[in-house]
Amino acid sequence: MRRKGPMGWLAHDVTHRGVTAWMLTIALAMFYVVLYWGDGPNGVNPLDKIAWLLHLGRPGQSGAKWTLYGTLYTLAVTLGGIGMIRRYGHNRYQVVRTMVVVFVQSTFAFSVPLFMKFAGHPEHYFSYFWPLKMYYFEPGFIRSNPAPLVLWSLIGSMVLVPVLGVFFGKRWYCSWVCGCGGLANTAGEPFRALSDKSERAWRFEKITIHASLALTLVTTAVVLASAFVPGNHPVLDLYAVKFRESYALIVSALLSGVVGVAAYPVGGTRVWCRYFCPMAAMLGLLQKAGRFRIRVKKDMCISCGMCSNYCEMGIDVRSYAQANESFTRASCVGCGMCAEVCPRGVLTLENSRKRDPQEQLVQIRLKR
Amino acid sequence: MARRILIVGNGVAGVSAALTLRARDDSAEITLLSDESDYFFSRTALMYALMDKLPRRAMEPYERKVWDKQNIQRVRARVTNLDADAHTVTLDDNRTLAYDILILATGSAPRPLPLEGDDAVREGRVHFVTLQDLDACERLVHSTARAVVVGGGLIGIELVESLLWHKIQTTFVVREGWYWPAALCREEGAMVADHMRAHGVTLVTDDEVRAVHADANGRVKSVQTKNDKTVACELLGVAIGVVPNVRWLSETKPPPALGRGIRVDERLQTSLPDVYAIGDCAEVIVPNKLDANGEAKRKVESIWYAAKRQGEFVARGLSGAHERYAPPRFFNSAKFFEVEYTTVGDWEDIPEGAESVLLRLPGKTVSARLVHDGSKFIAFNALGSRWDTPVLDQWMDEGRSLEWVRRHLHEAQFDVEFGRAPLRKMQETVLEARP
Ligand SMILES: Cc1cc2nc3c(=O)[nH]c(=O)nc-3n(C[C@H](O)[C@H](O)[C@H](O)COP(=O)(O)OP(=O)(O)OC[C@H]3O[C@@H](n4cnc5c(N)ncnc54)[C@H](O)[C@@H]3O)c2cc1C
Ligand code: SF4
Repeated sequence: MRRKGPMGWLAHDVTHRGVTAWMLTIALAMFYVVLYWGDGPNGVNPLDKIAWLLHLGRPGQSGAKWTLYGTLYTLAVTLGGIGMIRRYGHNRYQVVRTMVVVFVQSTFAFSVPLFMKFAGHPEHYFSYFWPLKMYYFEPGFIRSNPAPLVLWSLIGSMVLVPVLGVFFGKRWYCSWVCGCGGLANTAGEPFRALSDKSERAWRFEKITIHASLALTLVTTAVVLASAFVPGNHPVLDLYAVKFRESYALIVSALLSGVVGVAAYPVGGTRVWCRYFCPMAAMLGLLQKAGRFRIRVKKDMCISCGMCSNYCEMGIDVRSYAQANESFTRASCVGCGMCAEVCPRGVLTLENSRKRDPQEQLVQIRLKR
Repeated sequence: MARRILIVGNGVAGVSAALTLRARDDSAEITLLSDESDYFFSRTALMYALMDKLPRRAMEPYERKVWDKQNIQRVRARVTNLDADAHTVTLDDNRTLAYDILILATGSAPRPLPLEGDDAVREGRVHFVTLQDLDACERLVHSTARAVVVGGGLIGIELVESLLWHKIQTTFVVREGWYWPAALCREEGAMVADHMRAHGVTLVTDDEVRAVHADANGRVKSVQTKNDKTVACELLGVAIGVVPNVRWLSETKPPPALGRGIRVDERLQTSLPDVYAIGDCAEVIVPNKLDANGEAKRKVESIWYAAKRQGEFVARGLSGAHERYAPPRFFNSAKFFEVEYTTVGDWEDIPEGAESVLLRLPGKTVSARLVHDGSKFIAFNALGSRWDTPVLDQWMDEGRSLEWVRRHLHEAQFDVEFGRAPLRKMQETVLEARP
């Protein structure tokens, strides 16, 4: 039931798939279309011009749009983060997590690469790893960058990601470090309840996200093969280029940009993370095998549905809580919002040493 | 032939019975009857719907396709009569349904509050218990600037919080000296009162609403209290508790044995053959305890988990299990605005003069009270932090001493990561457990 007054109407409408929500989605989608595909014949994007006006690049410099985009993105994360902390200041987990995610976005994902660019180095994003950043695994990158950077990227993907994933689950990355998650959990906060909670969506998610991971693995394999298999293989090389290009188009631009962010007001904040992100898919598998879980306090759940409603990954948390089952779901990003909104303090996130497989015999968890 | 099992009431008790039965009996014909809603919904979520935090559909704990998949029939109708000899019930649309087993899970109804001037009121007086009450509140809030809520319990404060969210000036009238004396001691009651006032609630204690006045259109205009205070308001919320929803049963022939609720034995069977009662409407036996008249002690457990347990229990019994129902030691948690509340222990059984240690975090609405009877830890009440109730319950089972519990208290904390209430910084006072 919305609040009275025009502001009450707007606050409800924009967060409940109303007219204003659709307008916002269209505006966001148009922004991304211009950003990715709006370069004129002379290579100048309208957003470049705006960037020059704002002194975010030398006039005439193409690619200034990316600085503009980074600035807007970081601003959104920072302002949304401040809003988050004001609203959930009583919850230390939310405060710490939000501060970290804003910090990582404004440094490693924004000012550090920007600074590198100004200093004449090729920019590097220390908070992104393969498989999210496919490029950091490619021969081209490995050959042309200083050893410490290459080492950081390789150790990051091969050691850091899996080890932290096993000990802390997906959350250390998806809701503490990653910029996509960062935006979702700050500026995107008002839209988190829009995620689809149905079983059908869950089935769909399991297919798409693992398909996306498979596509990533295949692309990486082809690219690596084309570089390292001795001899001349024109077909392989062609495929390597083709795969890389289509990956960049489909995954980076279309899915994580246009669909990922523009869908916030109508599909919830984590459409990209939930259905498509290969990094999330990999971390999800590690999470299932690792220690992270959501613990459910016995017999305290009143089935109110707040936890499920506010789950941005569309997990029906209530179905576990009301059945007294502690659980680990591959898609859970550990944002901790279910535990925050639960009015009866039923849930807690933990890295549990003793794995308590979801085995208790429970009557009400439906088996049919 | 498959058993025909008729369940009156699709609340958590009835639904838990239906689903548990289905898991154990593939062939039974299970029918869920309700006059309130087509689908099971969570009554406890009413306030979140009113505050725009939950869409109506999200109040339903199961997807709608579940009922067909589970092969559970749903009938939307009110049962008006019961003929236990013929094994039939009559519905308000005059249909008659036959049963082999009847389960009454009719829940509770708001406790009525007769007021002077009631007759003139056509609009603006609400309870906060049913979906229809939610409809009424939603219809009224936009034309309400000021409201009065009567009744110092959980439903009352939930309604107050929801009205405040709609920027309605709200006066909360509590008959007793502090908020919720049935659950909170004086000190905690005062802490919650301060918190409510900080949120802008006008809290009036030691007073009752006596009369209500309506304008020419029949809309509530003001109320008058026992202390002759007049408070202008366009909405009057009455939340002075609930009573088992059993009135209609007293007219059936023969009626089941009724006390405060429907009296049931340790198998949750009523005095009528093949008729059971569960949930908020049932008055169960507390084993091995006698009441003041020397009869078996009875109790209406009007609480969510009890309704669920009783539903599951009756279903197990109907599929062959031989168990005796015993209410567990009381525990609960709730939230007063942002302040979380946890309790464990049967507070009404606390012996005269029992002592308690009250730990308080200076300057914050954070406290924990440990009650002991001289040798054992027997009850617990906490505000402002989260606790693992099963752990505290286990300590009471184990007869732990107060000193032991204080040493181990941190093991029962359930707060979010990085957010543990700092027990070391809490200041303690020794107080009587009850005022
Ligand atoms: C606002 C509110 C907040 C609450 N919060 C909490 C809480 O935080 N924690 C907690 O433990 N408990 C809470 N409760 C109490 C909790 O909701 C009840 O204990 C629980 O719902 C009882 O379930 P039940 O199945 O016995 O009855 P109900 O949920 O009351 O269901 C009974 C159903 O039977 C139907 N019915 C009754 N008579 C007939 C008839 N003759 N024919 C057909 N249908 C009929 C009714 O319409 C109703 O739909 C709250 C209650 C309210 C109102
Ligand atoms: S929010 Fe808490 S009480 Fe409500 S359904 Fe979820 S776990 Fe249960």
